Amino acid sequence: MHTVVDRMGRFLAQLQSSDFADREKAVKELATFYGDEAIAGLVLALEDSDPRIRELAADSLGRTNVCFASQLLIRSQNHRNIETRKLVTEFLVRIGSPAVQFLLDALDDDDPDIRMFAVCMLGRIRDDTTVGALCERLSDGNLKVVRSAVEALGEIGSSKAIPALVATYEKIADVRLQVVEALGKIGDPAAVEALLGYLKADDPLLLCAVIEAVGNIGAKDSVETLREHLDSKDPAIAETALAAIINITAKYGQDFGYDLPVKQFQGFLISSIKNGDKKITEFILNRLTGLCEQQMVGFALDALDFVEEGAVKRILEALGKVGPSASELILERFVESTYRTKLILLDILGWFVDESIAGRLVDFVDDPHPEVRRKIAYTLGKAGWSGAAATLKKLATDEVGYVREAAFVALGWLCSERDVDFLLTGLKDEYSDVREAALGALVIISGPKVIAKLAADLYHHDSGRQHLAVTGLGLIGEREVIDPLMKVLNHPEPSIRKAALTSLARIGEITDIEPLKLALHDENSGVRKAAVSALITIQGERAVGEIRFLLDDKDVWVRYHTISSIGRLGFDKHSEYLLPYLEEEEDIVRIAATKAVAQMANRRVLPQPEASPKEERYCRGC
Amino acid sequence: MEITIRDETNVTILALKGRLDLGTGSAVKEQVKNLFEKEKTMIHLNLAEVEFINSSGLGSLVSIMKEVRLRKGRLTLSNLDSYVQEIFEITQLSHIFEIFATEEETLNSYRAVPVS
Repeated sequence: MHTVVDRMGRFLAQLQSSDFADREKAVKELATFYGDEAIAGLVLALEDSDPRIRELAADSLGRTNVCFASQLLIRSQNHRNIETRKLVTEFLVRIGSPAVQFLLDALDDDDPDIRMFAVCMLGRIRDDTTVGALCERLSDGNLKVVRSAVEALGEIGSSKAIPALVATYEKIADVRLQVVEALGKIGDPAAVEALLGYLKADDPLLLCAVIEAVGNIGAKDSVETLREHLDSKDPAIAETALAAIINITAKYGQDFGYDLPVKQFQGFLISSIKNGDKKITEFILNRLTGLCEQQMVGFALDALDFVEEGAVKRILEALGKVGPSASELILERFVESTYRTKLILLDILGWFVDESIAGRLVDFVDDPHPEVRRKIAYTLGKAGWSGAAATLKKLATDEVGYVREAAFVALGWLCSERDVDFLLTGLKDEYSDVREAALGALVIISGPKVIAKLAADLYHHDSGRQHLAVTGLGLIGEREVIDPLMKVLNHPEPSIRKAALTSLARIGEITDIEPLKLALHDENSGVRKAAVSALITIQGERAVGEIRFLLDDKDVWVRYHTISSIGRLGFDKHSEYLLPYLEEEEDIVRIAATKAVAQMANRRVLPQPEASPKEERYCRGC
Repeated sequence: MEITIRDETNVTILALKGRLDLGTGSAVKEQVKNLFEKEKTMIHLNLAEVEFINSSGLGSLVSIMKEVRLRKGRLTLSNLDSYVQEIFEITQLSHIFEIFATEEETLNSYRAVPVS
């Protein structure tokens, strides 16, 4: 029987195995033991060559005696493997407060690397009770430890550290940059006075850091001093000063930069927007409309590619206010713009596209992106310029279906009868969206040629074409389509007969209603219903005599539809026709009849509810 | 067709009632032309009571749109009846017209941001 010590010894030995499975098992087993040896073994496993073993060991350590583990880890922080050091760091940060005391103890270690490591860890843990101890490290004999202590104090962000940091700035020139950054991170206005004093620094790098720190603290009073640096000969200093003022503006939601020389900093501002600086982006968006036209359009177009959807909307609004004069700059930028920006630019151009803009836009018709070509087609159509027809016809043969669709639609908007023959070719397209687009265009243009062609298509061998034709004629809705639609009431396809009836009803102005009356006897119930609607629409109350016989139609839905149609007319005198249907077997017909009679405002004819026996007794008593 | 005209802030509203076809479309065009003579180019057509429109009516609207564009004005439509809306969808004229659900929404848009 193996003792616990034997087993642990075996697992510790297994950590050296070349087999991954052995080492993994060893780590898992060690994690189940309590005791310093097991923890030491897990710490050892942190140096394993396989990252999976290292992560497993770190995870297991987190569930062990954290005090001992912390001590061990602090001592063993100088692992060769950078990944292991990262794991140790993460482990200690995760432990947090329980590790603090061991880290504070390590601040007095003889080894400067251990002191530096402990300082860094305390900065990561951000426990402000450690500020005093860290301030003491500002006097450490090792510069690396001092620098790390300054950085750690900046991370913790406690105002208590300000006097010690200011003193360190004066004392040690080599850590001034870090001190300034730490003061900026602490963000307490108490540091502003000292920081403004550092603005006399000769080192441009340090000066930039001071300006940035002042901006981070965000004291209103510092704006005027920062302004003085906008004129610096060193562009980095001037730009940092501008960013600092914008930072303060953002903090207070007030505009301290109303008269900032924005144009002078255009390149810097745009690159900041490109780099995703939200404060600068917001600053620019807020003042777009205040800029001169050309400058505003330049900013807006530069920024479009790098801002989020909400900002795009604001830019569009601003460009909309500029109006057509923005077009020239937009067109200049178009070719070099990204796909996304091109689509936005086309939206803008669409607002004020005219012949001259359309004339320039045709140059971009070979754009590689079909979505761009599609939008160009729409924009050209909006211009209503007949000169764009040739380009639109080219787009109407594009390899991409939705580009062809847009081109046909746009050709319709040009309203040119000369394009009818070409538009008719769209009815043969393989995609239904394109065919419908061509039909829509033909509807707008209309004319005898279109009507004749669609009338002929009513008997096309392709039923799809028949449907397009009947829809098109109905939408054209001119007197000239009445004749072909009347003839089609004998069409072999019921849906065509039905569509023709619906269109005829809508058009009205029918002189010969006999074909419609005949349709009341159609073999198809849908057609009979359409005939009822058509006659009611055209003749009104006079149609009731014609349609009455359908109250007894074999199809329940025809009965329902006829009752409802008579009811909607609202003539009291027709209620006598409907009364028998209040007793109908079919629920749906009974309901329709009840509703129709009610619509006729003739409630008195409705049957009175029978009195219940209880009510009868009560009444007798009365 | 009945055409009622009234002025609101930044826009003249024409409320149309009846069928919009060749004859009535010409009447609307005539009224809009009169407005142009008074230098009114911000025009809104309320189509709430237009229950029928045919290709000639559509042509009139497109023609009015072109004239308004030439004058750098703005044309809006609102309250489209379901059938009128269907025609606008099939012809995709909704791409070139600014269409609002209600007159109130339209008026707000004129108060907020004039597009051009």
